[in-house]
Amino acid sequence: MTHTAIHISRVTKVYRTPFRRQATVALRDLNLEIAPGEVYGLLGPNGSGKSTTLKIILGLISPTRGSVTIFGRDNSVVAARREIGFLPENAYFHKFLTGAETLRFHAKLCGLSKSKTTARINELLAAVGLTDAGDARLSTYSKGMLQRIGLAQALIHDPKLLVLDEPTAGVDPAGSRDIQELIASLKNRGTTVLLSSHLLTQVQEVCDRVGILHRGRLMREGQLQSLLGIENQTELILENASPDLLDGLEQQIASTSARLIVRRKPQASLEQLFLKVTESTEE
Amino acid sequence: MITSLRRIRAIAGTTLIELARLRVFYVLVLFALVLIVSSTFLARISFQQELQVTKDISLGAINFFLSLLAIVATAQLLPRDIEDRVVYSVLAKPVPRFEYILGKFLGVVGLLAISLAAMSVLCLVVLHLREQSALHEVNRQIEQLAPDQLSSTVRVIHTAGVNRDLIAALVLVLAKSAILAATTLCISAFATSNIFTITAMAMVYLIGHLESIAREYWLQEHVAGWPKRTFLALVAFIFPDLQAFNLSDQVIGGVPIPAHLIEQLLGLAAFYIVSYILLATAIFYQREL
Ligand SMILES: Nc1ncnc2c1ncn2[C@@H]1O[C@H](COP(=O)(O)OP(=O)(O)O)[C@@H](O)[C@H]1O
Ligand SMILES: [Mg+2]
Repeated sequence: MTHTAIHISRVTKVYRTPFRRQATVALRDLNLEIAPGEVYGLLGPNGSGKSTTLKIILGLISPTRGSVTIFGRDNSVVAARREIGFLPENAYFHKFLTGAETLRFHAKLCGLSKSKTTARINELLAAVGLTDAGDARLSTYSKGMLQRIGLAQALIHDPKLLVLDEPTAGVDPAGSRDIQELIASLKNRGTTVLLSSHLLTQVQEVCDRVGILHRGRLMREGQLQSLLGIENQTELILENASPDLLDGLEQQIASTSARLIVRRKPQASLEQLFLKVTESTEE
Repeated sequence: MITSLRRIRAIAGTTLIELARLRVFYVLVLFALVLIVSSTFLARISFQQELQVTKDISLGAINFFLSLLAIVATAQLLPRDIEDRVVYSVLAKPVPRFEYILGKFLGVVGLLAISLAAMSVLCLVVLHLREQSALHEVNRQIEQLAPDQLSSTVRVIHTAGVNRDLIAALVLVLAKSAILAATTLCISAFATSNIFTITAMAMVYLIGHLESIAREYWLQEHVAGWPKRTFLALVAFIFPDLQAFNLSDQVIGGVPIPAHLIEQLLGLAAFYIVSYILLATAIFYQREL
Protein backbone atom coordinates (compact mmCIF):
# COMPACT_ATOMS: atom_id res chain seq x y z
CA MET A 1 0.00 0.00 0.00
CA THR A 2 1.34 3.44 -0.87
CA HIS A 3 0.80 6.17 1.68
CA THR A 4 0.31 9.83 1.10
CA ALA A 5 3.44 11.75 1.97
CA ILE A 6 1.67 14.08 4.39
CA HIS A 7 -1.84 13.70 5.66
CA ILE A 8 -3.21 16.49 7.84
CA SER A 9 -6.61 15.74 9.23
CA ARG A 10 -8.80 18.41 10.85
CA VAL A 11 -5.97 20.20 12.59
CA THR A 12 -6.78 23.13 14.82
CA LYS A 13 -4.12 25.05 16.69
CA VAL A 14 -4.86 27.48 19.48
CA TYR A 15 -1.96 29.37 21.02
CA ARG A 16 -2.57 30.33 24.61
CA THR A 17 -0.22 32.90 26.03
CA PRO A 18 0.17 32.59 29.78
CA PHE A 19 -1.10 35.54 31.83
CA ARG A 20 -3.10 36.79 28.88
CA ARG A 21 -6.78 36.32 28.37
CA GLN A 22 -7.16 36.03 24.65
CA ALA A 23 -5.92 33.03 22.71
CA THR A 24 -4.79 33.05 19.08
CA VAL A 25 -6.43 30.56 16.77
CA ALA A 26 -3.61 29.98 14.30
CA LEU A 27 -5.24 27.11 12.36
CA ARG A 28 -8.87 26.13 12.01
CA ASP A 29 -9.86 22.66 10.91
CA LEU A 30 -7.09 22.30 8.37
CA ASN A 31 -7.16 19.33 6.00
CA LEU A 32 -4.26 18.77 3.65
CA GLU A 33 -3.07 15.84 1.66
CA ILE A 34 0.22 15.80 -0.22
CA ALA A 35 1.10 12.96 -2.57
CA PRO A 36 4.59 11.43 -2.78
CA GLY A 37 6.74 13.24 -5.31
CA GLU A 38 4.58 16.33 -5.32
CA VAL A 39 5.79 19.91 -4.87
CA TYR A 40 3.20 21.76 -2.82
CA GLY A 41 3.25 25.48 -2.13
CA LEU A 42 1.53 26.85 0.95
CA LEU A 43 0.80 30.48 0.26
CA GLY A 44 -0.56 33.16 2.49
CA PRO A 45 0.17 36.53 4.04
CA ASN A 46 2.21 36.92 7.24
CA GLY A 47 0.44 35.47 10.25
CA SER A 48 -1.84 33.23 8.20
CA GLY A 49 -0.55 30.08 9.90
CA LYS A 50 2.01 28.72 7.43
CA SER A 51 4.85 28.29 9.93
CA THR A 52 2.44 26.84 12.46
CA THR A 53 1.34 24.22 9.90
CA LEU A 54 4.91 23.25 9.10
CA LYS A 55 5.97 23.08 12.76
CA ILE A 56 3.00 20.84 13.52
CA ILE A 57 3.99 18.54 10.66
CA LEU A 58 7.48 18.25 12.14
CA GLY A 59 6.16 17.63 15.63
CA LEU A 60 7.85 20.78 16.97
CA ILE A 61 4.50 21.88 18.35
CA SER A 62 1.47 19.73 18.94
CA PRO A 63 -1.95 20.51 17.46
CA THR A 64 -4.79 21.41 19.80
CA ARG A 65 -7.02 19.02 17.82
CA GLY A 66 -6.53 16.76 14.83
CA SER A 67 -3.79 14.46 13.61
CA VAL A 68 -0.89 14.33 11.18
CA THR A 69 0.70 11.35 9.51
CA ILE A 70 3.89 11.27 7.47
CA PHE A 71 4.19 8.36 5.04
CA GLY A 72 1.50 6.65 7.07
CA ARG A 73 3.27 7.09 10.41
CA ASP A 74 2.11 9.29 13.26
CA ASN A 75 4.34 12.35 13.21
CA SER A 76 4.91 12.45 16.96
CA VAL A 77 7.13 9.36 16.66
CA VAL A 78 10.73 10.54 16.57
CA ALA A 79 11.56 7.95 13.89
CA ALA A 80 9.07 9.60 11.51
CA ARG A 81 11.57 12.44 11.25
CA ARG A 82 14.19 10.24 9.62
CA GLU A 83 12.39 10.84 6.33
CA ILE A 84 12.05 14.62 6.70
CA GLY A 85 14.39 17.50 6.09
CA PHE A 86 13.39 20.90 7.45
CA LEU A 87 14.52 24.43 6.72
CA PRO A 88 13.19 26.71 9.48
CA GLU A 89 12.12 30.27 8.79
CA ASN A 90 14.91 32.85 9.31
CA ALA A 91 17.30 30.24 10.68
CA TYR A 92 20.75 31.37 11.76
CA PHE A 93 22.12 28.05 13.02
CA HIS A 94 25.25 28.09 15.18
CA LYS A 95 27.05 31.23 14.05
CA PHE A 96 30.39 30.03 15.39
CA LEU A 97 30.53 26.94 13.16
CA THR A 98 31.70 26.93 9.56
CA GLY A 99 29.42 25.78 6.77
CA ALA A 100 31.09 22.38 6.62
CA GLU A 101 31.01 22.01 10.42
CA THR A 102 27.31 22.82 10.43
CA LEU A 103 26.67 20.03 7.94
CA ARG A 104 28.87 17.63 9.91
CA PHE A 105 26.94 18.43 13.09
CA HIS A 106 23.62 17.69 11.41
CA ALA A 107 25.03 14.55 9.78
CA LYS A 108 25.88 13.24 13.26
CA LEU A 109 22.37 14.03 14.46
CA CYS A 110 21.00 11.97 11.59
CA GLY A 111 23.32 9.09 12.35
CA LEU A 112 25.21 9.23 9.07
CA SER A 113 28.31 7.06 9.12
CA LYS A 114 31.64 8.86 9.36
CA SER A 115 32.88 7.43 6.09
CA LYS A 116 29.91 8.74 4.13
CA THR A 117 29.74 12.13 5.81
CA THR A 118 32.68 13.93 4.20
CA ALA A 119 31.67 12.98 0.68
CA ARG A 120 28.08 13.97 1.38
CA ILE A 121 29.17 17.36 2.77
CA ASN A 122 31.22 18.17 -0.34
CA GLU A 123 28.42 17.02 -2.59
CA LEU A 124 25.87 19.24 -0.82
CA LEU A 125 28.16 22.28 -0.61
CA ALA A 126 28.56 22.00 -4.36
CA ALA A 127 24.84 21.50 -4.92
CA VAL A 128 23.97 24.73 -3.08
CA GLY A 129 26.94 26.64 -4.49
CA LEU A 130 28.87 27.08 -1.25
CA THR A 131 32.01 25.06 -2.01
CA ASP A 132 34.23 28.14 -1.61
CA ALA A 133 32.49 29.30 1.57
CA GLY A 134 32.46 25.88 3.26
CA ASP A 135 35.30 26.82 5.62
CA ALA A 136 33.97 30.26 6.54
CA ARG A 137 32.03 30.79 9.76
CA LEU A 138 28.27 31.28 9.44
CA SER A 139 28.62 34.65 11.19
CA THR A 140 30.15 35.92 7.94
CA TYR A 141 27.38 34.50 5.72
CA SER A 142 24.82 36.64 3.92
CA LYS A 143 21.12 35.91 4.21
CA GLY A 144 21.16 34.07 0.89
CA MET A 145 24.13 31.94 1.95
CA LEU A 146 22.40 31.07 5.23
CA GLN A 147 19.35 29.88 3.29
CA ARG A 148 21.62 27.74 1.12
CA ILE A 149 23.42 26.14 4.06
CA GLY A 150 19.99 25.67 5.62
CA LEU A 151 18.87 23.79 2.53
CA ALA A 152 22.01 21.69 2.61
CA GLN A 153 21.51 20.69 6.28
CA ALA A 154 17.90 19.80 5.51
CA LEU A 155 19.12 17.49 2.73
CA ILE A 156 22.03 15.91 4.61
CA HIS A 157 20.30 12.55 5.19
CA ASP A 158 18.72 12.48 1.73
CA PRO A 159 15.15 12.75 3.05
CA LYS A 160 12.09 11.63 1.11
CA LEU A 161 10.21 14.72 2.25
CA LEU A 162 11.56 18.25 2.34
CA VAL A 163 9.74 20.96 4.31
CA LEU A 164 10.88 24.51 3.61
CA ASP A 165 9.59 27.54 5.51
CA GLU A 166 9.95 30.64 3.32
CA PRO A 167 13.01 29.34 1.45
CA THR A 168 13.24 32.40 -0.78
CA ALA A 169 12.54 35.10 1.83
CA GLY A 170 15.25 37.75 1.84
CA VAL A 171 17.14 36.11 -1.02
CA ASP A 172 17.99 38.03 -4.20
CA PRO A 173 16.36 36.98 -7.50
CA ALA A 174 19.38 34.98 -8.69
CA GLY A 175 19.56 33.12 -5.39
CA SER A 176 15.84 32.55 -5.44
CA ARG A 177 16.08 31.10 -8.93
CA ASP A 178 18.89 28.78 -7.81
CA ILE A 179 16.74 27.56 -4.95
CA GLN A 180 13.85 26.94 -7.34
CA GLU A 181 16.14 25.00 -9.65
CA LEU A 182 17.37 22.90 -6.74
CA ILE A 183 13.77 22.14 -5.78
CA ALA A 184 12.99 21.20 -9.38
CA SER A 185 15.95 18.81 -9.52
CA LEU A 186 14.87 17.22 -6.22
CA LYS A 187 11.40 16.78 -7.63
CA ASN A 188 12.87 14.97 -10.62
CA ARG A 189 14.47 12.54 -8.19
CA GLY A 190 11.15 11.86 -6.55
CA THR A 191 11.50 13.96 -3.40
CA THR A 192 8.27 15.35 -2.00
CA VAL A 193 8.54 19.07 -1.23
CA LEU A 194 6.28 21.22 0.90
CA LEU A 195 7.20 24.88 0.95
CA SER A 196 5.64 28.04 2.28
CA SER A 197 5.89 31.55 0.95
CA HIS A 198 4.19 34.89 1.29
CA LEU A 199 5.51 36.01 -2.10
CA LEU A 200 3.41 34.10 -4.56
CA THR A 201 5.41 34.71 -7.71
CA GLN A 202 8.62 33.33 -6.23
CA VAL A 203 7.31 29.81 -6.07
CA GLN A 204 4.71 29.55 -8.77
CA GLU A 205 7.09 28.02 -11.28
CA VAL A 206 8.08 25.01 -9.17
CA CYS A 207 4.81 24.12 -7.49
CA ASP A 208 2.60 21.33 -8.81
CA ARG A 209 -0.12 22.42 -6.47
CA VAL A 210 -0.70 25.36 -4.17
CA GLY A 211 -2.96 26.01 -1.23
CA ILE A 212 -3.91 29.47 -0.11
CA LEU A 213 -4.05 29.97 3.64
CA HIS A 214 -5.75 32.96 5.21
CA ARG A 215 -6.26 33.45 8.94
CA GLY A 216 -5.71 29.78 9.58
CA ARG A 217 -8.14 28.51 6.96
CA LEU A 218 -7.35 26.87 3.65
CA MET A 219 -9.28 29.12 1.28
CA ARG A 220 -8.41 27.58 -2.07
CA GLU A 221 -6.37 24.64 -3.26
CA GLY A 222 -5.44 23.17 -6.63
CA GLN A 223 -3.10 23.21 -9.58
CA LEU A 224 -1.79 26.66 -10.28
CA GLN A 225 -3.01 26.71 -13.89
CA SER A 226 -6.53 25.77 -12.99
CA LEU A 227 -6.56 28.24 -10.09
CA LEU A 228 -5.29 31.15 -12.13
CA GLY A 229 -6.72 30.31 -15.57
CA ILE A 230 -9.75 32.32 -16.64
CA GLU A 231 -12.11 29.70 -18.00
CA ASN A 232 -13.50 31.49 -21.03
CA GLN A 233 -10.32 33.26 -22.18
CA THR A 234 -7.33 32.16 -24.26
CA GLU A 235 -3.94 33.80 -24.68
CA LEU A 236 -1.91 33.57 -27.93
CA ILE A 237 1.68 34.70 -27.93
CA LEU A 238 3.20 35.01 -31.40
CA GLU A 239 6.75 35.61 -32.49
CA ASN A 240 7.66 37.53 -35.68
CA ALA A 241 4.01 37.98 -36.68
CA SER A 242 3.53 40.61 -39.40
CA PRO A 243 1.04 43.44 -38.83
CA ASP A 244 -0.95 42.09 -41.80
CA LEU A 245 -1.37 38.70 -40.17
CA LEU A 246 -2.50 40.31 -36.92
CA ASP A 247 -5.00 42.57 -38.71
CA GLY A 248 -6.32 39.55 -40.61
CA LEU A 249 -6.76 37.65 -37.39
CA GLU A 250 -8.61 40.55 -35.80
CA GLN A 251 -10.99 40.73 -38.72
CA GLN A 252 -11.61 37.01 -38.57
CA ILE A 253 -12.36 37.26 -34.84
CA ALA A 254 -14.75 40.14 -35.39
CA SER A 255 -16.84 37.94 -37.73
CA THR A 256 -17.48 35.40 -34.93
CA SER A 257 -19.13 35.61 -31.50
CA ALA A 258 -15.67 35.82 -29.83
CA ARG A 259 -14.38 39.17 -28.60
CA LEU A 260 -10.77 40.40 -28.69
CA ILE A 261 -10.03 41.91 -25.30
CA VAL A 262 -6.43 43.08 -25.67
CA ARG A 263 -3.66 43.23 -28.26
CA ARG A 264 -0.26 44.11 -26.85
CA LYS A 265 3.39 43.14 -26.57
CA PRO A 266 4.03 40.80 -23.63
CA GLN A 267 6.20 42.42 -20.98
CA ALA A 268 9.11 40.89 -19.23
CA SER A 269 8.88 41.15 -15.43
CA LEU A 270 11.38 43.36 -13.62
CA GLU A 271 12.82 40.19 -12.17
CA GLN A 272 13.41 38.63 -15.58
CA LEU A 273 15.06 41.85 -16.71
CA PHE A 274 17.29 41.82 -13.64
CA LEU A 275 18.34 38.23 -14.24
CA LYS A 276 19.08 38.96 -17.92
CA VAL A 277 21.15 42.05 -17.13
CA THR A 278 23.18 40.45 -14.35
CA GLU A 279 23.77 37.30 -16.34
CA SER A 280 25.24 39.16 -19.33
CA THR A 281 27.72 41.02 -17.12
CA GLU A 282 28.81 37.82 -15.41
CA GLU A 283 30.13 36.23 -18.57
CA MET B 1 13.85 5.06 19.86
CA ILE B 2 17.25 3.98 21.09
CA THR B 3 19.29 6.73 22.66
CA SER B 4 22.31 7.53 20.57
CA LEU B 5 25.56 8.42 22.30
CA ARG B 6 26.87 9.85 19.08
CA ARG B 7 24.04 12.36 18.84
CA ILE B 8 24.40 13.37 22.49
CA ARG B 9 28.14 13.77 21.99
CA ALA B 10 27.59 15.92 18.91
CA ILE B 11 25.25 18.23 20.83
CA ALA B 12 27.52 18.32 23.90
CA GLY B 13 30.60 19.03 21.76
CA THR B 14 28.91 21.87 19.90
CA THR B 15 27.65 23.30 23.20
CA LEU B 16 31.16 23.19 24.61
CA ILE B 17 32.51 25.09 21.58
CA GLU B 18 29.73 27.63 21.99
CA LEU B 19 30.48 28.12 25.70
CA ALA B 20 34.24 28.28 25.25
CA ARG B 21 33.62 31.32 23.06
CA LEU B 22 31.87 33.15 25.90
CA ARG B 23 33.89 36.02 27.29
CA VAL B 24 32.44 35.58 30.77
CA PHE B 25 34.17 32.20 30.93
CA TYR B 26 37.63 33.71 30.54
CA VAL B 27 36.90 36.60 32.86
CA LEU B 28 35.75 34.29 35.63
CA VAL B 29 38.57 31.81 35.29
CA LEU B 30 41.15 34.59 35.08
CA PHE B 31 39.72 36.26 38.15
CA ALA B 32 39.90 33.03 40.11
CA LEU B 33 43.50 32.45 39.00
CA VAL B 34 44.49 35.93 40.14
CA LEU B 35 42.89 35.32 43.52
CA ILE B 36 44.67 32.00 43.97
CA VAL B 37 48.07 33.47 43.15
CA SER B 38 47.56 36.59 45.25
CA SER B 39 46.59 34.51 48.27
CA THR B 40 50.23 33.48 48.56
CA PHE B 41 51.23 37.04 49.35
CA LEU B 42 49.01 37.14 52.41
CA ALA B 43 49.63 35.99 55.98
CA ARG B 44 53.10 34.76 56.78
CA ILE B 45 52.65 34.05 60.47
CA SER B 46 53.44 30.34 60.34
CA PHE B 47 53.92 27.74 57.62
CA GLN B 48 50.71 26.07 58.62
CA GLN B 49 48.67 29.25 58.54
CA GLU B 50 50.20 30.33 55.30
CA LEU B 51 49.19 27.07 53.62
CA GLN B 52 45.77 27.21 55.23
CA VAL B 53 45.06 30.73 54.03
CA THR B 54 46.12 29.82 50.50
CA LYS B 55 43.83 26.80 50.60
CA ASP B 56 40.95 28.75 52.07
CA ILE B 57 41.07 31.50 49.47
CA SER B 58 41.71 29.10 46.57
CA LEU B 59 38.90 26.74 47.48
CA GLY B 60 36.54 29.63 48.11
CA ALA B 61 37.40 31.25 44.78
CA ILE B 62 37.10 28.00 42.83
CA ASN B 63 33.82 27.18 44.55
CA PHE B 64 32.24 30.55 43.93
CA PHE B 65 33.43 31.06 40.36
CA LEU B 66 32.51 27.56 39.24
CA SER B 67 28.99 28.00 40.66
CA LEU B 68 28.64 31.37 38.97
CA LEU B 69 29.93 29.96 35.70
CA ALA B 70 27.48 27.02 35.91
CA ILE B 71 24.53 29.39 36.28
CA VAL B 72 25.55 32.09 33.81
CA ALA B 73 26.70 29.69 31.08
CA THR B 74 23.65 27.44 31.30
CA ALA B 75 21.04 30.19 31.55
CA GLN B 76 21.49 31.41 27.99
CA LEU B 77 21.82 28.05 26.20
CA LEU B 78 18.17 27.28 25.44
CA PRO B 79 17.03 30.89 24.83
CA ARG B 80 19.83 31.40 22.34
CA ASP B 81 19.09 28.19 20.47
CA ILE B 82 15.44 29.16 20.23
CA GLU B 83 16.29 32.66 19.06
CA ASP B 84 18.66 31.42 16.36
CA ARG B 85 16.20 28.66 15.37
CA VAL B 86 18.91 26.08 16.04
CA VAL B 87 16.43 24.18 18.14
CA TYR B 88 14.13 23.74 15.14
CA SER B 89 16.73 22.30 12.81
CA VAL B 90 18.07 20.04 15.57
CA LEU B 91 14.71 18.73 16.80
CA ALA B 92 13.45 18.32 13.24
CA LYS B 93 16.13 15.65 12.93
CA PRO B 94 15.49 12.31 14.63
CA VAL B 95 16.65 13.73 17.97
CA PRO B 96 14.50 13.11 21.06
CA ARG B 97 14.24 16.18 23.27
CA PHE B 98 15.79 14.25 26.13
CA GLU B 99 19.00 13.85 24.14
CA TYR B 100 19.01 17.53 23.31
CA ILE B 101 18.70 18.53 26.99
CA LEU B 102 21.25 15.94 28.09
CA GLY B 103 23.68 17.06 25.39
CA LYS B 104 23.38 20.67 26.52
CA PHE B 105 23.96 19.65 30.13
CA LEU B 106 27.01 17.54 29.31
CA GLY B 107 28.45 20.43 27.29
CA VAL B 108 28.21 22.65 30.37
CA VAL B 109 29.74 19.96 32.57
CA GLY B 110 32.60 19.74 30.08
CA LEU B 111 33.20 23.47 30.40
CA LEU B 112 33.01 23.29 34.20
CA ALA B 113 35.45 20.38 34.29
CA ILE B 114 37.94 22.22 32.11
CA SER B 115 37.67 25.39 34.19
CA LEU B 116 37.99 23.42 37.41
CA ALA B 117 41.03 21.61 36.05
CA ALA B 118 42.70 24.90 35.13
CA MET B 119 42.01 26.48 38.51
CA SER B 120 42.87 23.32 40.47
CA VAL B 121 46.18 22.79 38.73
CA LEU B 122 47.25 26.31 39.60
CA CYS B 123 46.00 25.95 43.17
CA LEU B 124 47.83 22.64 43.63
CA VAL B 125 51.05 23.95 42.09
CA VAL B 126 50.99 27.02 44.32
CA LEU B 127 50.32 24.91 47.41
CA HIS B 128 52.98 22.39 46.49
CA LEU B 129 55.61 25.09 46.02
CA ARG B 130 54.68 26.66 49.37
CA GLU B 131 54.83 23.26 51.03
CA GLN B 132 58.25 22.52 49.59
CA SER B 133 59.67 25.84 50.70
CA ALA B 134 58.18 25.29 54.16
CA LEU B 135 59.83 21.86 54.42
CA HIS B 136 63.05 23.35 53.16
CA GLU B 137 62.88 25.97 55.88
CA VAL B 138 62.29 23.31 58.52
CA ASN B 139 65.31 21.37 57.29
CA ARG B 140 67.46 24.46 57.77
CA GLN B 141 66.25 24.94 61.33
CA ILE B 142 66.68 21.24 62.03
CA GLU B 143 69.37 21.66 64.67
CA GLN B 144 67.18 23.76 66.92
CA LEU B 145 64.30 21.25 66.96
CA ALA B 146 63.83 18.14 69.05
CA PRO B 147 63.18 14.98 66.95
CA ASP B 148 59.52 14.61 67.99
CA GLN B 149 58.95 18.30 67.46
CA LEU B 150 60.43 17.94 64.00
CA SER B 151 58.19 15.07 62.94
CA SER B 152 55.05 16.80 64.22
CA THR B 153 55.96 19.99 62.34
CA VAL B 154 56.44 18.03 59.14
CA ARG B 155 53.13 16.27 59.70
CA VAL B 156 51.34 19.59 60.22
CA ILE B 157 52.83 20.92 57.01
CA HIS B 158 51.72 17.83 55.10
CA THR B 159 48.13 18.02 56.34
CA ALA B 160 48.05 21.71 55.55
CA GLY B 161 49.47 21.12 52.08
CA VAL B 162 48.36 19.06 49.11
CA ASN B 163 46.57 15.86 50.10
CA ARG B 164 43.80 13.50 49.07
CA ASP B 165 41.07 15.37 50.91
CA LEU B 166 41.84 18.51 48.97
CA ILE B 167 41.27 16.61 45.72
CA ALA B 168 38.01 15.20 47.10
CA ALA B 169 36.86 18.69 48.02
CA LEU B 170 37.59 19.88 44.47
CA VAL B 171 35.60 16.99 42.97
CA LEU B 172 32.67 17.90 45.21
CA VAL B 173 32.87 21.48 43.96
CA LEU B 174 32.34 20.10 40.46
CA ALA B 175 29.41 17.98 41.65
CA LYS B 176 27.81 21.01 43.24
CA SER B 177 28.16 23.19 40.16
CA ALA B 178 26.79 20.36 38.01
CA ILE B 179 23.68 20.36 40.23
CA LEU B 180 23.42 24.11 39.72
CA ALA B 181 23.73 23.65 35.94
CA ALA B 182 20.97 21.03 35.87
CA THR B 183 18.71 23.28 37.96
CA THR B 184 19.43 26.26 35.72
CA LEU B 185 18.60 24.18 32.63
CA CYS B 186 15.32 23.21 34.25
CA ILE B 187 14.35 26.81 35.01
CA SER B 188 15.45 28.09 31.60
CA ALA B 189 13.24 25.45 29.95
CA PHE B 190 10.17 27.46 30.94
CA ALA B 191 11.59 30.92 31.65
CA THR B 192 10.81 33.67 29.20
CA SER B 193 13.95 35.68 29.92
CA ASN B 194 17.53 35.16 31.06
CA ILE B 195 17.09 37.67 33.87
CA PHE B 196 14.32 35.50 35.33
CA THR B 197 16.49 32.38 35.16
CA ILE B 198 19.47 34.03 36.78
CA THR B 199 17.37 35.68 39.51
CA ALA B 200 15.64 32.40 40.28
CA MET B 201 19.00 30.66 40.41
CA ALA B 202 20.39 33.28 42.79
CA MET B 203 17.52 32.30 45.11
CA VAL B 204 18.18 28.59 44.69
CA TYR B 205 21.83 29.28 45.48
CA LEU B 206 20.99 31.24 48.63
CA ILE B 207 18.39 28.77 49.88
CA GLY B 208 20.75 25.90 49.13
CA HIS B 209 23.45 27.47 51.28
CA LEU B 210 21.21 28.60 54.10
CA GLU B 211 18.96 25.60 54.50
CA SER B 212 21.33 23.60 56.67
CA ILE B 213 21.68 26.53 59.06
CA ALA B 214 17.94 27.05 59.05
CA ARG B 215 17.36 23.37 59.68
CA GLU B 216 19.66 23.32 62.69
CA TYR B 217 18.01 26.40 64.10
CA TRP B 218 14.52 25.00 63.67
CA LEU B 219 15.46 21.62 65.02
CA GLN B 220 16.74 23.25 68.16
CA GLU B 221 13.59 25.31 68.50
CA HIS B 222 11.50 22.14 68.07
CA VAL B 223 9.21 23.52 65.42
CA ALA B 224 5.73 22.42 66.34
CA GLY B 225 3.02 21.15 64.04
CA TRP B 226 3.20 19.02 60.92
CA PRO B 227 2.46 21.83 58.39
CA LYS B 228 5.72 23.58 59.24
CA ARG B 229 7.63 20.32 59.31
CA THR B 230 6.21 19.24 55.96
CA PHE B 231 7.01 22.60 54.48
CA LEU B 232 10.59 22.43 55.71
CA ALA B 233 10.96 18.88 54.46
CA LEU B 234 9.61 19.92 51.06
CA VAL B 235 11.99 22.87 50.80
CA ALA B 236 14.88 20.64 51.82
CA PHE B 237 13.84 18.10 49.20
CA ILE B 238 13.35 20.49 46.28
CA PHE B 239 16.38 22.64 46.95
CA PRO B 240 19.58 20.66 47.19
CA ASP B 241 21.59 21.37 50.35
CA LEU B 242 24.51 23.03 48.56
CA GLN B 243 26.36 23.87 51.75
CA ALA B 244 26.82 20.14 52.37
CA PHE B 245 29.13 19.99 49.36
CA ASN B 246 31.42 22.59 50.85
CA LEU B 247 34.14 20.68 52.65
CA SER B 248 36.67 23.50 52.84
CA ASP B 249 36.39 23.77 56.67
CA GLN B 250 37.41 20.16 57.09
CA VAL B 251 40.12 20.43 54.45
CA ILE B 252 41.60 23.56 55.99
CA GLY B 253 41.27 22.33 59.54
CA GLY B 254 42.98 19.08 58.56
CA VAL B 255 39.98 17.00 59.70
CA PRO B 256 40.07 13.77 57.66
CA ILE B 257 37.03 13.38 55.38
CA PRO B 258 35.51 9.89 55.64
CA ALA B 259 35.17 8.10 52.30
CA HIS B 260 31.51 7.26 52.94
CA LEU B 261 30.68 10.96 53.25
CA ILE B 262 32.15 11.62 49.82
CA GLU B 263 30.23 8.68 48.36
CA GLN B 264 27.01 9.91 49.96
CA LEU B 265 27.46 13.40 48.60
CA LEU B 266 28.23 12.13 45.09
CA GLY B 267 25.11 9.95 45.27
CA LEU B 268 23.05 12.92 46.38
CA ALA B 269 24.45 15.00 43.52
CA ALA B 270 23.61 12.25 41.01
CA PHE B 271 20.07 12.06 42.38
CA TYR B 272 19.47 15.79 42.00
CA ILE B 273 21.11 15.97 38.57
CA VAL B 274 19.04 13.09 37.17
CA SER B 275 15.85 14.49 38.69
CA TYR B 276 16.40 17.98 37.37
CA ILE B 277 17.40 16.79 33.89
CA LEU B 278 14.26 14.65 33.69
CA LEU B 279 12.17 17.56 34.92
CA ALA B 280 13.81 19.89 32.39
CA THR B 281 13.01 17.40 29.61
CA ALA B 282 9.39 17.12 30.74
CA ILE B 283 9.03 20.91 30.77
CA PHE B 284 10.73 21.19 27.41
CA TYR B 285 8.31 18.66 25.88
CA GLN B 286 5.40 20.89 26.87
CA ARG B 287 6.95 24.01 25.48
CA GLU B 288 5.53 25.60 22.33
CA LEU B 289 8.63 26.19 20.24
N1 LIG C 1 4.40 30.76 19.87
C1 LIG C 1 3.30 31.49 19.60
N2 LIG C 1 2.53 31.96 20.61
C2 LIG C 1 1.43 32.69 20.35
N3 LIG C 1 0.99 32.99 19.12
C3 LIG C 1 1.69 32.55 18.06
C4 LIG C 1 2.89 31.77 18.25
N4 LIG C 1 3.39 31.46 17.02
C5 LIG C 1 2.55 32.02 16.12
N5 LIG C 1 1.53 32.66 16.73
C6 LIG C 1 0.40 33.35 16.06
O1 LIG C 1 -0.21 32.43 15.18
C7 LIG C 1 -0.57 33.06 13.96
C8 LIG C 1 0.07 32.31 12.80
O2 LIG C 1 1.46 32.50 12.84
P1 LIG C 1 2.47 31.80 11.82
O3 LIG C 1 2.10 30.36 11.71
O4 LIG C 1 3.85 32.11 12.26
O5 LIG C 1 2.12 32.54 10.46
P2 LIG C 1 2.96 32.66 9.10
O6 LIG C 1 4.08 31.70 9.15
O7 LIG C 1 1.97 32.36 8.03
O8 LIG C 1 3.44 34.07 9.02
C9 LIG C 1 -0.13 34.50 14.08
O9 LIG C 1 -1.26 35.26 14.42
C10 LIG C 1 0.88 34.49 15.19
O10 LIG C 1 0.85 35.70 15.87
MG1 LIG D 1 6.03 32.09 8.97
